[in-house]
Parts: sequence; structure tokens; C-alpha cells
Amino acid sequence: MILLPLPLIQTLQVLTILLAAPGISGVIASIEARMQGRRGPRILQPYFDLAKLFHKESLAPVGAGPFFLLAPVLALACYLTVPMLIPVLTSYALPLGDMGDILGGGIILAFASFVVAVASAETGSVYAQLGSSRAKTFAAITEPVVLLVVFTVALLTSTDLPYVLAQTVSEGPAQIIRPAHLLASAALFMVILFETGRIPVETHTGTIELGMIEEARSFEHSGPYLALLKWGSAAKQLVFYTLFINVFVAPWGLASSTRASDVLIAVIALLVKATLLGIVVAVIDNTFAKLKLFKITEFVAAAFLLAVLAIFTLFLGGG
Amino acid sequence: MIDLLVQLPVEKVPSVFEGTANTIAVIVLLMEFGMLRAALLRAQVQLYAAQSLAVSVLAVVIAAGRDIPELYVLGGVSFLLKTVIVPRVINRLLRDSQSEIAGSGALGVASEVVLSIVVAAFGFFAVGSLGLQSSVLPTTALSLSIAVVLVAFVLMILRRDVVSQAIGFFSLENGISMASLVVAAGMPLILEVAFIFDLLVAVVVFGVLMRVHQGRTRTLSTLNLDKLRG
Repeated sequence: MILLPLPLIQTLQVLTILLAAPGISGVIASIEARMQGRRGPRILQPYFDLAKLFHKESLAPVGAGPFFLLAPVLALACYLTVPMLIPVLTSYALPLGDMGDILGGGIILAFASFVVAVASAETGSVYAQLGSSRAKTFAAITEPVVLLVVFTVALLTSTDLPYVLAQTVSEGPAQIIRPAHLLASAALFMVILFETGRIPVETHTGTIELGMIEEARSFEHSGPYLALLKWGSAAKQLVFYTLFINVFVAPWGLASSTRASDVLIAVIALLVKATLLGIVVAVIDNTFAKLKLFKITEFVAAAFLLAVLAIFTLFLGGG
Repeated sequence: MIDLLVQLPVEKVPSVFEGTANTIAVIVLLMEFGMLRAALLRAQVQLYAAQSLAVSVLAVVIAAGRDIPELYVLGGVSFLLKTVIVPRVINRLLRDSQSEIAGSGALGVASEVVLSIVVAAFGFFAVGSLGLQSSVLPTTALSLSIAVVLVAFVLMILRRDVVSQAIGFFSLENGISMASLVVAAGMPLILEVAFIFDLLVAVVVFGVLMRVHQGRTRTLSTLNLDKLRG
């Protein structure tokens, strides 16, 4: 029986997210292709793409400052800070786990997206600026939804530490089958679809510039910097999936001790659960049409409705 | 660091039965919001059928959870009438009139939803402050059913076509029957069933209204009704 020191487990949390993220994207892309009757790319394709990009030269537009090159690194660093705050592998809080609550994690994620938006606004390219302006516009209307979800969590557990909510949820069915929890989870899922740039908000692999939001922002980056941006958005996706799975929906399979075998099982469980969620996302990708840009407010209004109802039912005491 | 996880005092957790009942009630309310958003008349009818199904399921859940056998019959009758027959009748009428798209909201969809959230909140807290207690269901379900009624009102007021207004009225009845499940689950079965057959009268009336309106104006929209006719 090998016991792992806590700092090592914490590093493992970050490494799991970093290394598994492109793989999860690959799995989703492959499943999606299968459903459309295509053979699709290999599951490992995102890794090959990253390796290829790291070997290419990088160009910056004329007039772009050092921030343009710094942004991809900063964004990836932000996305890798969040896994320290949320339960990725363990059900108990790790040494740096109380650095920030859900709001803290949200601020870091928002900062990363802000940094990328600033960098793409700096390029002077039309499409990159279009993407960053759209991303920020819609971020302003999804932010209230996220806040209401956090408030719901705070009312449910009287704290907003993700570890405590995960523990509350794993207590039993009475905690899961309550409208407040289900509604908050559904609202968060809609926010995740928005944040990871999936249908019905955005075509993930599209090349149609006019419909792009998140994807358009990396138009001017190239070489290793583009690789970092792509890796960053894959990591962001897995961070959101982990938050949704391990805090809200299925906090099972987490390691409850520091034993190496438990942690290994937790890694495998996380990958399996993330793949299952990826299948759900792929099904949604294939069954719904992309919304018109001006209909995205309706999508967000629906998420807002769910989150508000969650708070209402809680205030009435029955949620 | 582990002591971070000491269980903090959390307010009383409702039981699984209460949670299920509340969740179904929330689903009924969400369907009402869905009807408000739906652009196609056919989608509205489908949502109405789904909402009626949810109300029937709620009746069955209460019957099983609280051991009130009459409610099985009520659930069955309301499923047969509201999920099968009424949507079929409306679909039949729609097919005859050959209009598809309602799209007749007086406001944009997002503003309609926000307005309805405000109205629903009013209903929620107005009923919540009454302090009603029910032995059968948590009072949250009562507040939710009042919210359903109010949002149905908003639907009827903001939509300018006959079918949406009819659907709004029918779904209002769904809200009422959910409220009656909370307040008076032990009510004699004959009264409950009489309630449901009231709905059939409404269906006939609205059916005639739709036909007459369609025959006179060649449209289902009520927009032009304020025009003077010579």
C-alpha cells in the first residue's frame, strides 16, 4: 500500500486535467463523427495537432505588443490554477483547496477569457476582434446565471466551497432529488455548453466566421502560441466538466484516502465520467441546430430562468 | 485541512418523496415557460400534452407516496383526457386551419420570460406568505401551481392568436388541478373528475371559437380584431 503525499496528489490533479484534456476533446470529436456516419479523426488527433503546432514558427501581426504573445501562456496558467480549487481526484480538501471558493474559480476563469479577448482585440484583425467583442458581450449575460448558481449552492450548503457541496450531494438521494439542486445543475450545464462553445451556441469545428464566438479569437495566433490557446480551451472544457461532474452531478469514485490505488481509480473514474458527459454533449451537438446570434440571449434567458427558480424554491423552504 | 469538511449546519432537507413532488411541480412550471417561448403552434400543443402528463404523474406519485388510491383513477382519467384526447382535438383543428406559426408575441421572447419570472415570483411569495400547510404535499408545490396559473395568464395576455390563448387557458387548468392536489388531495373523486370534464366544455367552446374566427378572418391571429368592419 503506497501512500502519496498531499502536494503530489494536488500536482496530479493539475496534470490529469492538463494531459487528459486534448484526449477528451478527441473522444467527443470521434463520437460526433461516428454519429454523422463518418469515420472521424483518431482519438489522439488533438495531441498530434498540438505537437505539430509546437514545431511551427509563430508570427505576430504588425503592431501587436508583447501582451499578444503573453496571453496564451497566461490563459493556460489560469485554467490550470482552477483544478487546485475543485475536487478533481479527492473527496477531501487538498492543501491549496481553500485558496478560493467557487466564485474565486469563476473569477480566474473569467480572467483567462478576458486576457485572450484583449490579446485578440490587439491584433487589429476584423474577425478576431469580432470574436472577442461577442465573447465579452455574451459573457456579460451569462455571468448572472453563474452567480445565481453559486448563490443556490451557498443556500444549499451554507458555504460556497466546492468540496462541501460535493460531500453534501454524495450524502444520498434526498440531496439530489430536490428541485433547487436539479435546476442549478441544469443551469450550470447550459452555461457549460455556452462556455465551451458547443451547439446550440456555436459550431465547435466550424469555419464560418460570421457565426464564430470563441473560435474566432485565436485567428491571428500561430505556432506554439496557437497550440497553447487550443490546449487552454481543451483544459477549460475539462475543468468545467470536472466541476459539473464532481461537484454537482456525480461526485462518486473520488479518492477518500491518500492511497496510490485509490487515486489511480479516481483518475480512471474521472476520465470515464468525462467521456460519458462528452457523449451527452456530442448527442446535443448532433440533434440541435445552431442558434442565430441574436437568439443566444433566449438560450441564456432560459438558463437564467432555471437558476432563478432554484433560488425561489429554496426560499420557500421546500427546495 | 481535512477538518474543513466538518459538516456545517444545513437547513432541514426535504424527504425524497417531497423532493420528487416538488421536482415534478417545477417541471410543470417549466413547461408553462416553454409554451410561452414556443414559436410553433404544434410545439405548444406538444408542450401542453407533456405538462398534462407531468400533472398525471404527480397524481400517481402522491397516490403511491401517501396511499390515496382514488388518485390513481384521477391520474388515469387526466392522462386519457388531457394528454391524449385534448391535444388530438386541437391538432385536428390546427390541421384544418393550416396555420403553423404563432410567432405572435407582443414582446420579444427574452423580455416575455423575464416578465413572467417577475409575475411568477409575485405568485410564489404571495402564496408563501399565507403560511398554508398541507398534510399531503409540501407548500412549495402550491406556490409553484399558483406560479403556473399566473404565467398562463401572461401567455394568454401576450399572445395574439386564438390557439395560444386556448392553450394558455387549458394549461391554467393544469395549474389549478395541481393546486387542488396540494390543498385537497382527499377531495371526493367525483368532484375532481367533474373539474376535468369542465375542461372538455372549454375545449368545445374554444374549438367553436377557433373555427368561427378562422372562417371570418382567414387567420388565427387576433391582431386585426380591433379594425372596424363596414
